[in-house]
Amino acid sequence: MDIPPLLLQTLGSLVAILVLAGLAALLKLGGASKLASDGDVRRAAGEVVDGFEAIECAAARDGAAALARDALGRIMLIKRHGNRFAGRILTPLARVRRHGDALEVDCGEKRFGKVLLALDDPASWQARIDAIGPA
Amino acid sequence: MPEFSPTQYAVPLFVIAVLAEMIWARFKRPDAYEPKDTLLSLTFGLGSTVAAALLGGFALYVFIEAYEYRILDFGDEWWALWWAWPLCFVLDDLKYYWVHRAGHRIRWMWASHVNHHSSQHYNLSTALRQSWTGAFTFGFVFALPLVLLGFHPAMIAICAGFNLVYQFWIHTEAIRRMPRWFEAVMNTPSHHRVHHATNPRYLDRNYAGVFIVWDKLFGTFEPERDDEPIRYGIIRQLGSFNLLWAVFHEWIGMIGDIVRAPWKHKLSYLLREPGWSHDGTRETSDMIRESWRARTGQDSRTAEPVANRNPIAEHGEAA
Repeated sequence: MDIPPLLLQTLGSLVAILVLAGLAALLKLGGASKLASDGDVRRAAGEVVDGFEAIECAAARDGAAALARDALGRIMLIKRHGNRFAGRILTPLARVRRHGDALEVDCGEKRFGKVLLALDDPASWQARIDAIGPA
Repeated sequence: MPEFSPTQYAVPLFVIAVLAEMIWARFKRPDAYEPKDTLLSLTFGLGSTVAAALLGGFALYVFIEAYEYRILDFGDEWWALWWAWPLCFVLDDLKYYWVHRAGHRIRWMWASHVNHHSSQHYNLSTALRQSWTGAFTFGFVFALPLVLLGFHPAMIAICAGFNLVYQFWIHTEAIRRMPRWFEAVMNTPSHHRVHHATNPRYLDRNYAGVFIVWDKLFGTFEPERDDEPIRYGIIRQLGSFNLLWAVFHEWIGMIGDIVRAPWKHKLSYLLREPGWSHDGTRETSDMIRESWRARTGQDSRTAEPVANRNPIAEHGEAA
């Protein structure tokens, strides 16, 4: 049977890819970064949007996500992405739902996904997100 | 002349090098890798070779046609001209600088090139995170002057292949600095880390492929600083490991903007820099850098605040 060279090369590369990605997991590379303090959240927020200076922060209890507010009243949602963080400034498209002491925040961007945050003060953050109007 | 692709021969070396860097990361910097990110980057690499094989025919056709109109003729045995190879390599690297710069400054080209930058990590697997959609841009046009000058398309392709192989090893945090003379002339891990950074100071800098001298010549060089940790990725980090979204997100965004924009602005969403918007609601890299400068008083080309470089104030004392 004649296997086209491109197919053979592709299959070989696919095996190498799976082996390398598997090894990365086996070697326990990556880990899980945490937003453990307000300082962590401020730093992460400043990295998401340069110049964003959070004056109020709320890190989720598991450290995997956070909300931050700046002096302009902008609210940023931050989530762990792999072992880094990614975030979005919430717009009127944002939706928030309460599940006990947790908030499920949807920034309105499907691929960013909904983020679940167990917070000490979910009600006030829910109210702020609900109140977001056009910039 | 036999068919020869440097990148194909280098693939086993790429695999071994990634493996070696993972072992380094295991002991020194476990956070330098992330399994899902690695899987995504490597899949990008595989997809790009398949895409090039399937879609590269058009560019090849154009090159072969253009070669018929070459100004200089190096003869039928053009490959035997030893001096033509280094000359072609240097000119191809100059071409790379400009096509790469266009890849960051023209949204149509960025829609494709963003794939290479969308990882928040910087390691050897990031080097293999290559675009699938390069054939849908006009990047190949930048090589036409070389073809018209008389360099055979195969010679250009081989030089470009070696260029790409060179760029593999500079995608690492395992090497801090190379010897001074090397850093002065060649692109290095340090210079290229700057290129992958999202820190305002570093945005749209160090476009070089092999020789960093092009950036120094054309005013886009920025040295890496030891006192400012680099953040990698893109301004609006993906926040998703979905492969297809990672491949096409900027194309989808750009086409959406073109559809929604008023007629007189449609072309600008295709040809202007990423982040440009007709209503000023978004930020380009220049705008981000300017805000950062205004906020911090720092100039990206120096280590000092702008005020400290005021020639009048330089030797003066406070009143």
